[in-house]
Amino acid sequence: MVSVDFELRKKVMDAHIKDTLKYCYQCARCTDVCPVSKVTDGRYDPRQIILNSFLGLKEAIFNQESNFNLWGCTICDTCDEVCPQKIGLTEVFAVLRNMSITMEEGPEYYTSQASTIYDSGKAIPMQTAIERRRDQLGLPKIEPPNIEEVQKILNETNLNKILKK
Amino acid sequence: MAKVDEYKMFEGCTIGNRIPFIEASARKVFDKLGIKTSEGPFACCPDPVGFNSVDHSSWLAMGARNLTIAEAEGKDIISLCNGCFQTLKAVNHELKHDEHEKEKINKILSSIGKEFNGSINVWHFVEVLYNIGLEKIKENVTHELSGLKVACHTGCHYNRPSEIMQTDDPMKPVKLRELVAATGATPVDYEEEMLCCGAGVGNIEEEPSMQILANKFSSAINAGAEAIVVICPACFQQMDTNQKKAEKQANKTFGVPIIYLTELLALSYGIKSEEIGLKFHRSRLNALLEKHGIK
Repeated sequence: MVSVDFELRKKVMDAHIKDTLKYCYQCARCTDVCPVSKVTDGRYDPRQIILNSFLGLKEAIFNQESNFNLWGCTICDTCDEVCPQKIGLTEVFAVLRNMSITMEEGPEYYTSQASTIYDSGKAIPMQTAIERRRDQLGLPKIEPPNIEEVQKILNETNLNKILKK
Repeated sequence: MAKVDEYKMFEGCTIGNRIPFIEASARKVFDKLGIKTSEGPFACCPDPVGFNSVDHSSWLAMGARNLTIAEAEGKDIISLCNGCFQTLKAVNHELKHDEHEKEKINKILSSIGKEFNGSINVWHFVEVLYNIGLEKIKENVTHELSGLKVACHTGCHYNRPSEIMQTDDPMKPVKLRELVAATGATPVDYEEEMLCCGAGVGNIEEEPSMQILANKFSSAINAGAEAIVVICPACFQQMDTNQKKAEKQANKTFGVPIIYLTELLALSYGIKSEEIGLKFHRSRLNALLEKHGIK
C-alpha cells in the first residue's frame, strides 16, 4: 500500500523558493543528461526522486537498501540547466539530503567532513608539512579562522545536535 | 563595472591547506598583471557539495560569516576554487533575494556581532583575468605555447546554475578557452567537454566516479589533447591524484598531465616550473614541458 506523506510534500514545496516543483511533467531531460545515471544503469535517477518528492512518497526515498538513490548525485547542476520547467532540482535534492542526515541515513564522508569543519573551521585543517611547503613556495601564512565564532553560529543552527557534538 | 583596487583572497581549504603550489602560480600571475589581494581570517567556504548536503542553514550561516569579513573592508572576494566560488556567490545571492532567510541568518550572526549586508561581489579568478582583457594577458607572454593542444575543463560550479552564477555560457563556456588561447596553446574541441569530473559521486562510491573520469579522459585524448587545463582544485585532485585509479578501471593508460590555468599562464610568462612547484603533480609533466621547450 502506497502512503502519501504530506509533511514531506510541504517541506519540498516550501523549501523551494520559486515553488516550481509542482510544474514538473516528468519529461526525463534530467535523467537524460545525468552523468551518474549514465554509468550506473539508472541506479541513480533524478526524475524518479523528483516524482517521489512531489507525490510525497517518503517511503520510496528514504530507508532504502542503499542510499545511492539520493546520495549518488555528483551535484554537477546539469539537470538544473536543461530542465524546461526550471524547477531547480539540486535545491530539492539538498532538502532531501538534509532530511536523510537527520534520519541518520547519510554517508559517513559527509558527516565526518561537517564534523571537521565544526571542530577546526576548515574542511581540511592545516598541517605542519603544508605550512612548511607554503613557506618554501613563498606563500603568506593562512590566517586562522575564529573557531569560537564558527562553533557559536553552528550551535545556533543546531549542527552540534545534528552531529551529536 | 566598478574598478576593484584590492580583492580579499579566498584560496580555500583544498588549495591553501593541501595543494598550495597552485596558489603560488596564481599569486605570481596576479603580480604580473597587477591584481592586488589581501588575506582574511576566513573559515571554510563551506563546501557546496558536502556541507550544504548536511545542513542548508549551517551552510548559509558559515558562508554569510565569510562574506561579512570582506564586507567589513568593503572589498570583493576573488576565489581560486569553483566550490568556494559557488558557495560564496550562491549564499550572497540567496540572502540578497530572500528577506526571510536573510533575517534568520542575521539573527544567528548577531550572536557573534556580525551582520550580512550583501554589499560586496564574489568573483571567480577566471572572470577577473578575462575582465582584465585578453590583450593584457597576451602582453606578458614571453614563452608562447604554440603547438600545445589542450582540453579545457571548466568544472561544474564555475558556471552552473547559470541563473545564479552568471559567469559564462552554462553549457558552452568560452572564457577559459580564450584565456588558454592567449598563451598560444590550442584548445581542442572534444565531445565530453561539459562532462563533470565525477568527484562528487566519489564521496560515496568509487566505481561510477572513476568511470565518468575515464570517459572524460578518453574523449579529451581522442581529440588530440596533450594536457587538460582545469580551474578547480576538486577537479584537479580528481584528475591528477585519481588518474591511476581511472586507468585501472578502464584498463587503459591515460598519462595525461593536468594543469591549472594559472600554472599554464605562469609557464607562458617565463616563470620557472620549480618556482611554482610543478614537481608536486602526480601526473608527470616533464615530457610535455621538454617537448614544448619549457623550463
